[in-house]
Amino acid sequence: MSYTKAGNGELSASDQMIVVKDFTKKYGTFTAVDNISFEVDRGSIFAFLGPNGAGKSTTINTLCTICSKTSGTMLIDGKDAERERDAVRSAIGVVFQESTLDLKMTVEENLTMHGCFYGLPRAVIRERIPAMLELVDMTEWKKAPAGSLSGGMKRRVEIARSLLHLPNVLFLDEPTTGLDPQTRAHIWAYLIKLQLEREMTIFLTTHYMEEAEIAHKAAIMDKGKIIAYDSPAVLKQRYTKDKATIASSDGQALEALASKYKLNAARGESGAYLIESANASDLMELISEHRGSISHIEIRRGTLNDVFLELTGKDIRG
Amino acid sequence: MRVVAALWLRNVKLFLRNRVQLVLIVVMPFFYIYLLSAIFKTASVSNPVQFLLAGIVSIVLFQTSLNIATSTIDDIVSGYMKEVLVSPVKRIQIALGQILSSTTVAALQGLMILIVGWFLGMTYTSVLTPIAVLAAMIGVGLVFSSLGLFLAVSVKNAQTYQIVSMAVTTPVTFLCGVYVPLSLLPEGLQLAALLNPMTYAAAFFRALSLEKMSLPADELLADQLAFKLGGFIITPQISMWIVAAFGLLFLLLSTAVFAKADLSAINRSKASKDIFQQ
Repeated sequence: MSYTKAGNGELSASDQMIVVKDFTKKYGTFTAVDNISFEVDRGSIFAFLGPNGAGKSTTINTLCTICSKTSGTMLIDGKDAERERDAVRSAIGVVFQESTLDLKMTVEENLTMHGCFYGLPRAVIRERIPAMLELVDMTEWKKAPAGSLSGGMKRRVEIARSLLHLPNVLFLDEPTTGLDPQTRAHIWAYLIKLQLEREMTIFLTTHYMEEAEIAHKAAIMDKGKIIAYDSPAVLKQRYTKDKATIASSDGQALEALASKYKLNAARGESGAYLIESANASDLMELISEHRGSISHIEIRRGTLNDVFLELTGKDIRG
Repeated sequence: MRVVAALWLRNVKLFLRNRVQLVLIVVMPFFYIYLLSAIFKTASVSNPVQFLLAGIVSIVLFQTSLNIATSTIDDIVSGYMKEVLVSPVKRIQIALGQILSSTTVAALQGLMILIVGWFLGMTYTSVLTPIAVLAAMIGVGLVFSSLGLFLAVSVKNAQTYQIVSMAVTTPVTFLCGVYVPLSLLPEGLQLAALLNPMTYAAAFFRALSLEKMSLPADELLADQLAFKLGGFIITPQISMWIVAAFGLLFLLLSTAVFAKADLSAINRSKASKDIFQQ
């Protein structure tokens, strides 16, 4: 079994690390993924968003060669995920949605086995394990049985393990589901560090919309289809409005101003007005003209969750 | 080969770490010997201790091999098998790693029974026999471990596996001439016994450990070490090949199941249970 160092562009002429074209997956008569296509740039972070059951895991499992497709093509680093399985398997690192640690073995044994599966020489395994554990702050747990660790620690060990063979692409399926906010923040910090230091391509799925903000590109998936695909900034600009909640001493003047700028002003139960605008400058003009009467103001940017809401008419957690 | 060795070592380590399993595997042979010695006092065979022990060893090899296959189910359920399957390891290497480790455990248990047998007065005339017996135990262990692995990867669920393994074990062990001599069975069941690979494993193993491999056919038939199927006589040598072919078949079948394993179906059922993720 050969082992190649993870490339960061020089190994292939293509700028796309992942190319998916017309991918469809059916389970009997149920279509889990319906004819989707997308590309992931080399060295970028790509987020796959959508509610549970949208088809994200099916797509990731097929890309990772452990699930067969109904039709379409999938290339990872120029290699076909079905016909060149072994080449693809060597090139990727995967952290699945549920833990895949060997719970009865220690953290170190887990990593050693992994290195062995990927054909790393013993000396390389011995040298890399401390470095990988250091990366996720798990050095002192080296000898602990994996089953004795907390959920967040397990996830960190899995990330360390998936990086041991220096993959070109790291797949993360819901890496932070079920973890507390502090651990989630830690894990994202590690991942961003990795992406910067190693110029690694990261493909992640999540149903926490705010977590996708770090991605260079995001695809929003619903009922097996990709319904939007661009950078988070563009998506938000295109599909969301900036929202200002204004408590005013002169409601009538505010309503008049809103109609002047052709903005919708809705009076909430508390008496404050909610004004939405796709164009930030209109909103700023209105606020500036009305500033004498404003007693309280809150301005909120559109989020990716708003994008999802706008596109599907429902909340992502719904 | 390194991957096979690593998987083998891991499974053997896991086995040694499971104390309850370890104790039971040591104790069970004594129970079998006590039970079966009573039954076979009534049957007309020469050298009952030897005859009995050889039969028990083949049954124990079978049952242990099937039991150890549950560790593969544990690996599937715990998710670890996904980590193995997503790696570039060849599927046949995974299958071999699992099979070799369960063979090791089964052969160790068989060896333990033979040691008990030695205290009960079992002797061999040739020094080659114990070596041949050990080799045969490993061979038979490999065959039934392949069957166990095939069942485990096909079923993928611990509860279902228990029932399936029971459904397989009962007819296979009762219709092979170890618990009940074949001559005492009604004719229909005798025919069924001839379709049972365990019958051949037991016959071959008995002929080998009784040092009767080269006996004339009519004596083998009288001792129930060979079988007559129409005009054809299945000698212990032929039995050995039947068992080997059976093992190879299931090694290939379980590798095939690994190769096209679509584990997404397992996630699906797991995810639906997790109400906290809704």
